[in-house]
Amino acid sequence: MSDVLIDRPELDSLGVYEFGWSDSDAAGQSAKRGISKEVVANISNLKNEQDWMLQRRLKALQIFERKPMPAWGADLSAIDFDNIKYFVRSTEKQAQTWEDLPEDIKNTYEKLGIPEAERQRLVAGVAAQYESEVVYHQIREDLEQQGVIFLDTDTALREHPEFFEEYFGTVIPSGDNKFAALNTAVWSGGSFVYVPKGVHVEIPLQAYFRINTENMGQFERTLIIADEGSYVHYIEGCTAPIYKSDSLHSAVVEIIVKKNARVRYTTIQNWSTNVYNLVTKRAIAEEGATMEWIDGNIGSKVTMKYPSIYLTGEHAKGETLSVAFAGPGQHQDTGAKMIHMAPHTQSTILSKSIARGGGRAGYRGEVRVDANAHHSKNTVACDALLVDRISRSDTYPAIDIRVDDAELGHEATVTKVSEEQLFYLMSRGLEQDEAMAMIVRGFIEPIARELPMEYALELNKLIEMGMEGSVG
Amino acid sequence: MTTTSPATSSTETEQHGFKAHSDGGDAFVPVQTRSERFASTDVAAFPAVTGREPAWKYTPVAQLADLIDGELDGSEYSFEAPAVDGVAVAWVGRDDKRIGTAGTPENKAAANAWTAFEKALVISVTGEEEKTFRLHRTALGNTARAAHTVIEAAPHSRALVILENAGQAALTENIEIIVGDGAQLTVVSVQEWAEDARHLAEHFAEIGRDAKLKHVAVTLGGKIVRVNPSTHLGSQGADIESLGVYFADAHQHLEQHVYVDHDAENTRSRVSYKGALQGEGAHTVWIGDVLIRQTGTATDSYEENRNLVLSEGTRADSVPNLEIETGDIAGAGHASATGRFDDEQLFYLMARGIAEADARRLVVHGFLVEIIQRIGDAELGERIEAAIERELAAGDLQS
Repeated sequence: MSDVLIDRPELDSLGVYEFGWSDSDAAGQSAKRGISKEVVANISNLKNEQDWMLQRRLKALQIFERKPMPAWGADLSAIDFDNIKYFVRSTEKQAQTWEDLPEDIKNTYEKLGIPEAERQRLVAGVAAQYESEVVYHQIREDLEQQGVIFLDTDTALREHPEFFEEYFGTVIPSGDNKFAALNTAVWSGGSFVYVPKGVHVEIPLQAYFRINTENMGQFERTLIIADEGSYVHYIEGCTAPIYKSDSLHSAVVEIIVKKNARVRYTTIQNWSTNVYNLVTKRAIAEEGATMEWIDGNIGSKVTMKYPSIYLTGEHAKGETLSVAFAGPGQHQDTGAKMIHMAPHTQSTILSKSIARGGGRAGYRGEVRVDANAHHSKNTVACDALLVDRISRSDTYPAIDIRVDDAELGHEATVTKVSEEQLFYLMSRGLEQDEAMAMIVRGFIEPIARELPMEYALELNKLIEMGMEGSVG
Repeated sequence: MTTTSPATSSTETEQHGFKAHSDGGDAFVPVQTRSERFASTDVAAFPAVTGREPAWKYTPVAQLADLIDGELDGSEYSFEAPAVDGVAVAWVGRDDKRIGTAGTPENKAAANAWTAFEKALVISVTGEEEKTFRLHRTALGNTARAAHTVIEAAPHSRALVILENAGQAALTENIEIIVGDGAQLTVVSVQEWAEDARHLAEHFAEIGRDAKLKHVAVTLGGKIVRVNPSTHLGSQGADIESLGVYFADAHQHLEQHVYVDHDAENTRSRVSYKGALQGEGAHTVWIGDVLIRQTGTATDSYEENRNLVLSEGTRADSVPNLEIETGDIAGAGHASATGRFDDEQLFYLMARGIAEADARRLVVHGFLVEIIQRIGDAELGERIEAAIERELAAGDLQS
């Protein structure tokens, strides 16, 4: 499988172009498969990184090689690390014309009703940049006036190394897990956001606004720092299903929410169904800070993702809203973690999962309340909607309480869409598919309503599309 | 006598159930379903325990090495069991055909016990009249020991079987519970061991058509006590009510892994465990695994675990897992809650002129007694309530 997914020799030349890197030796390197010290050093070298980052990468590589695969979770045995090309920035290619897109992706766009202009922007890199430049500049100027830094991570590392020296890898050390180590060794791209003290960024920041010809890589690295009293909503740029040919996507997202700041991070993940999406996302919420993850997982073959919040300061708050949808051949092993490390911290997890057509969706989570985190509260609610006999729903919460006055509650309910519900709606004149879609919409509504309207609509659309043919 | 479950194929490595990928090589696949865990009655089939395995990750394995893979005394032991009509007790050989029909060990300590026992104690229940049978084990001693027990209820029979454990113990054991079609059996296992006792128990239940088992685990005494009841609902209309009460004091580790496997139509399960923790180093672990297989259509399942934390320095782990492989179920859910005193209740009682210490005791009592009352035996219920009172009183003295 990895052959088809990763072997894209036609992109080698693009890589050379993008990096302005015409050395023929290097071009040969770029075609190399597998991971080694040389590969890692080469990535660092191409970016002209400082030595400390190179050392960090090399150390992470050692950790990656030493760490076993996770002993739990999804079946990852088909991933062949030796057959992956780790030159991420160059392996991403946007389709040049509408016709270049694969059939299923085109259909998706059609069904989503993405307008012609939008299509052009999405599919034709050059046109898109012209189209959006005005908007982009306006936003950028506003942000700059307020001192907000919003760059791709490679540029940010060059222009603002001080942030990276202080924060990079502090929330998710490379030894955290095998895939975090891999990301640290070969990361490329991603977003860097710094919001100064007291600044409220009124519009959501989206990777989409960033002119980023390199696009998001397989191993993007995102670092968000919200300084005291600030607010930012970051939306990961998967608003439409970006065609992604890679077999392995392994991002690391680190977020630091300082005193009384608030960060909301929204993802609607819709990778194509041949992608292993193994992502580590973690935020630290300091005193009085609020962190919110809104995480929708619709696409990918396998997703293992458990956005976590370390509540390190008194009165910090964490909230995770998560929707997982698994169709045929998909396994969404998603969830959330809340680690209460300070007094008076509060957290909430709401998870909704739907599986159909033999897919598998679930919730895996961890809630820990440390001994000093007195007066902390947590609630977890997991709902699963079952629509057929062959799909699978799992709930794996783990709760660990080490203090005498915490209040914790976990609840899961599993609901079956009943004949009666369908019959009732159909008796009101709805087709069976529409009736099912309506039930599903009602089910995910508590999460959809937290999204900006266009994303909520899109989430609904995507799930409806996934539900097609699920009844009858 | 040594059997290995069908789940163990030739491609399976010996690493607690991680199957080698069919392509060969070193790629492995984590266990994807609770029923696929490696199982064997042979201690040698399990790799050395590291403490990272799902079966052991919460357990202080360093203090259990002798029980996990040391040499065990598997001989007959003495017990007391007043005779009751319709209940027969006898030692049988390892070749008895009932042995191995209710389950297979999924961890090394249980396999060690299975490998080492010389005779199994069989408790056979017959007759439709209600009866209560009590078996006391009080003199097991400090030598590491294996035991094997089979409790068999004939079709349509009824009984309450109470297993009471006290005194010293270093015991790893398997208890098989075979409930015949239409039978209604209650099995209560009470652990009131001495302070330094260590006890690892696997209870395997196989429940017949339209039969019901009420299983109750009450654990109050012992240094490390782990009671893991697994129930296979493999016949239509089989029903399990799995209840538990535990009270962990300072430096006590009380653990239970409850597993319910819905493997036939119209099966029902209700799991409810309640625990209290008090004192530095008190640690409780509750894992509740519910699997609803594709065969488990019209399953009705609910499990809950509630913990009451009475002092600082304690740790309560609660893991209610749910795996559902069919959408055609009647209902499934789980809940876990861990908290402190309900201050409102406390306030209410104190407003009635009840002193705080007494009010606290009443609240804890009320919390745990709900399960104890469901045992259905007044005498035992009173004794357990009294034991809980003593635990609470001891806690007051400490603080």
